[in-house]
Amino acid sequence: MSDIVERMQAVFRDVFDDEGLVLRDDLTAADVENWDSLTHINLIVGIEREFKVKFTTAEVGSLHNAGDLKALVQKKLGASG
Amino acid sequence: MSNMSNSTPPETVAMDYSSLVRASRRLDTSAHKTKLRVALLSDAATQQLVPLLRVLFHRCGVDASIYEAPFDGIQLEALDANSGLYHFQPDIIVLLNSVQALRAAFGKRTGDGSEFLGEKSSGLLAVWDAIHSHVSATVLQSTYVLPYDRPFGNFDRKIAGSLTSVVHSLNAFIAQQARTRSGVLVNDVDAVASWIGRRFWFDDRLWDMAKTFCAPEHLPAVAKNIVDIAMSTRGRSIKCVVLDLDNTLWGGVIGDDGVDGIVLNAHGDGEAYFRLQLFLKELLKRGILLAVASKNEMSNALLPFDKHPDMVLKREDITVFMADWNDKAGNIRKIRDTLNIGLDSMVFLDDNPFERDLVRGVLPEVIVPELPEDPADYVRAICELNLFETPAFSAEDLQRSEMYRAEGERRQAQAAFANAGDFLRSLDMRIVAARFDAFHLPRIAQLIQRSNQFNLTTRRRTEAECEALMNDPGVTPLYVKLSDRMGDHGLIGVVILEPDGETLAIRDWLMSCRVLARGVEQFMMNLVVEEAVRLNKAVVAGEYIATPKNGMVKDFFAEFGFVKAGGGEDHTHWRLVVNEYRPAVTFIKHAAETTAVG
Repeated sequence: MSDIVERMQAVFRDVFDDEGLVLRDDLTAADVENWDSLTHINLIVGIEREFKVKFTTAEVGSLHNAGDLKALVQKKLGASG
Repeated sequence: MSNMSNSTPPETVAMDYSSLVRASRRLDTSAHKTKLRVALLSDAATQQLVPLLRVLFHRCGVDASIYEAPFDGIQLEALDANSGLYHFQPDIIVLLNSVQALRAAFGKRTGDGSEFLGEKSSGLLAVWDAIHSHVSATVLQSTYVLPYDRPFGNFDRKIAGSLTSVVHSLNAFIAQQARTRSGVLVNDVDAVASWIGRRFWFDDRLWDMAKTFCAPEHLPAVAKNIVDIAMSTRGRSIKCVVLDLDNTLWGGVIGDDGVDGIVLNAHGDGEAYFRLQLFLKELLKRGILLAVASKNEMSNALLPFDKHPDMVLKREDITVFMADWNDKAGNIRKIRDTLNIGLDSMVFLDDNPFERDLVRGVLPEVIVPELPEDPADYVRAICELNLFETPAFSAEDLQRSEMYRAEGERRQAQAAFANAGDFLRSLDMRIVAARFDAFHLPRIAQLIQRSNQFNLTTRRRTEAECEALMNDPGVTPLYVKLSDRMGDHGLIGVVILEPDGETLAIRDWLMSCRVLARGVEQFMMNLVVEEAVRLNKAVVAGEYIATPKNGMVKDFFAEFGFVKAGGGEDHTHWRLVVNEYRPAVTFIKHAAETTAVG
């Protein structure tokens, strides 16, 4: 598992309070019990803090699944360093 | 670093957003005896605040039930008698108004800025009035956080109708209106936000996405402010600040440096200590007692108070002065015993980390702030903790330090008498016991909210609830004032009676611990029984509800000849047959009587 996926998975597990959660690219809100508007914000804020990046409103709006989020993190990390 | 205790300074307890959210899961608060029903109404999203509030209330030993009104439902819920808000029967109603929503409405205004201000002001009052026409819950009205947008630049403040000016005016209006309404407390969110800074406070992106009130990392500060105010309405208050002397109240060591050598002046290198004393003097003026716990010879410790020209605090400002070589935890206990207050109502200030750790380890209830290395930062570090909340301010607060001084004289006088009866007789005590009146309501509510030890039922009633009792002809709510030849004790007791069939029920009975062992409770019980006779009731009924703090009155009713009539361990019911009561002997007279005691 890549470092990014591992760190993302830790944030997902924390935010959704599920130690058994396995991060997959096609994971969506429909697959996770606690994924609602409240935890969605916590997820975005948690990922931002973990990777020290900041997403724009449009970027957050374009996310459809965990794979999109991973690609976005990779893009941000690539751009910043 | 010293590792002598495993206690934690209050400010290092995890307060960050994620830790609190994590802590809120699987949180079982049902074991807490103190229950609080809190309704949350906002024009911003409230979901993220709820877990934070629950955890912070839990840390205060409170089981909080939280009602979230529908988004942007302040007016709707307040004005509808059938709303979820009123079905919930809240104790506290939090009205959280966002400047983001205000800005959006401001952008759509049809009239000018002052018309907009008028609409918003009257809207706020309409909500408060509607709420208090239905329930007597305490309203926590937020101030608006000042906006960062200034279309006129600095000239914004010269335009009465600019958004900036409107927010300033609204906040002033809220403060001014709240002053005349005891049921409305100000939740000064703008003060919280300005501490952080507007630049960091807002997260406009999360407002757009989810109507999040502010950047999530600052939501804990919003929640803490709400909990601080709510807890003050439930009896949590600081009553005494215990002070170290050397390098806390002044720079240097008085025993070594002498009055001329210690550092303390209104300007320059001793100004930090001078500013701390100014701050403490303000606390004193608002009714918080000051005490000293210093490792010093008493004669040395007193020198600056008596001789140093720049001392702000004088000897008479210190209610209990302990200067010796005993350990400070022991001395703080003695101060507690002298003042008869709870350890959790005491703050201890000391520059020495060893002493702070010792007190935290031995007396974990005492609040011991970390003091920064530089005394210039003392006041700021203390203020950041927001320790001194209060839900009311009464004439009693202004005289508190004077009352305790008189108490000290009484104790000295007592020592000269062979027995307690002679001493009590010599005091020439006078009581006023009267039905609640408007003039005394603030102090009555304050006593009800603060009394923990001599309190048989610990029902925290708000000023609005006390007012309702005052106006209810079916209830006899009495306050008790005591004075003697040494001075005035002020309003020190509350007894609430209600006829109930054949009996006269004592609903609540509470007294200030300042006046124990004077015969006040005996005098009052005589009055209660007289009232029962007057109302033709054959029985007086009482109840005792146990809390962690009111063990001293566990046997109160038994001592007056009441017989237990049911209830479990923690909640007992008692009955007294009026004919069998033998009035207790006291050395107290009604204030109206003018004949000399003796």
